[in-house]
Amino acid sequence: MILKGRPDRIHVIQGDCIVTDDASVTLTTVLGSCVAACMRDPVLGIGGMNHFLLPGDGENSERNEAERFGVYLMELLVNGLLKRGARRDKLEAKLFGGARTMQGVTDVGAKNIEFARRFLDTEAIACLGGSVGGDQGRRLEYQPSTGRARQFLLPSTAVAQVSTPRPVPARAESGTLELF
Amino acid sequence: MSLLAQLKILVVDDTTTSRLLLRDALETIGFRNISVAANGEEAMKMMTTSPCHFIISDMNMPKMDGLQLLKAVRTHKVFARTPFMILTGNADRNVLEEGRKLGLNNYLNKPFTPEDLKKALEAVVGRLQ
Repeated sequence: MILKGRPDRIHVIQGDCIVTDDASVTLTTVLGSCVAACMRDPVLGIGGMNHFLLPGDGENSERNEAERFGVYLMELLVNGLLKRGARRDKLEAKLFGGARTMQGVTDVGAKNIEFARRFLDTEAIACLGGSVGGDQGRRLEYQPSTGRARQFLLPSTAVAQVSTPRPVPARAESGTLELF
Repeated sequence: MSLLAQLKILVVDDTTTSRLLLRDALETIGFRNISVAANGEEAMKMMTTSPCHFIISDMNMPKMDGLQLLKAVRTHKVFARTPFMILTGNADRNVLEEGRKLGLNNYLNKPFTPEDLKKALEAVVGRLQ
């Protein structure tokens, strides 16, 4: 989805994958328990981002079913880069998201993080870092041409609490800008 | 023993995780004789030394993609008639039409369930019977 009036910023929605070789483009997304993999070939300066949430609660009986969807989106990202001339052995990635946004239920975010890390490890794609876990959502900006990522933590008051509500003090780190 | 269990099947995919998941899906369906290759070149070498009954190949792969592998198989004097199915993440009609002209038996869009895979395979096996 391309935001009107800001063609240089492309928003990546859940279940989507965008790859670009346009150096002026910034990819953006908003993450809760979803994970976004940002990947690029630093030599060519092309890159992309996907945004996935594995379906189900990640229990073993459903694990492979859920992971097929995650693998599909990771493959779209990798293949999109390779089609534009990227070299597989040069690919580098950063992972974001996977927050535990709802207390008292299965930690879906952790399952998404675990899957993404295992995928990168299995495919021998270097993971340079990122920011995963925690209990706050994230607004993410990623410049594929430079590999620079900026993260804004969302106030945890915006996060659903299904267990006993606890007081939420004013958090100094809410809305914090972090560079990666 | 079922027909599917007797078939020797070759899986070709450059993504290790996909190969593992596809093998798991095939075993769930009932296949027991599964070989894997990481790209088209490797698949052709494996076919030369150990021919199979069915090939399932990813479309996008380095060195030799799914269509190039299909063409190589269809022009081979020994295993030219081996059933061939392509897995694709973004089915391009032109590409699939080219595949059909080359003798592609079936294709399946990703992501798919083992049930989707079974139906796609049985469609081909049925036609061959």
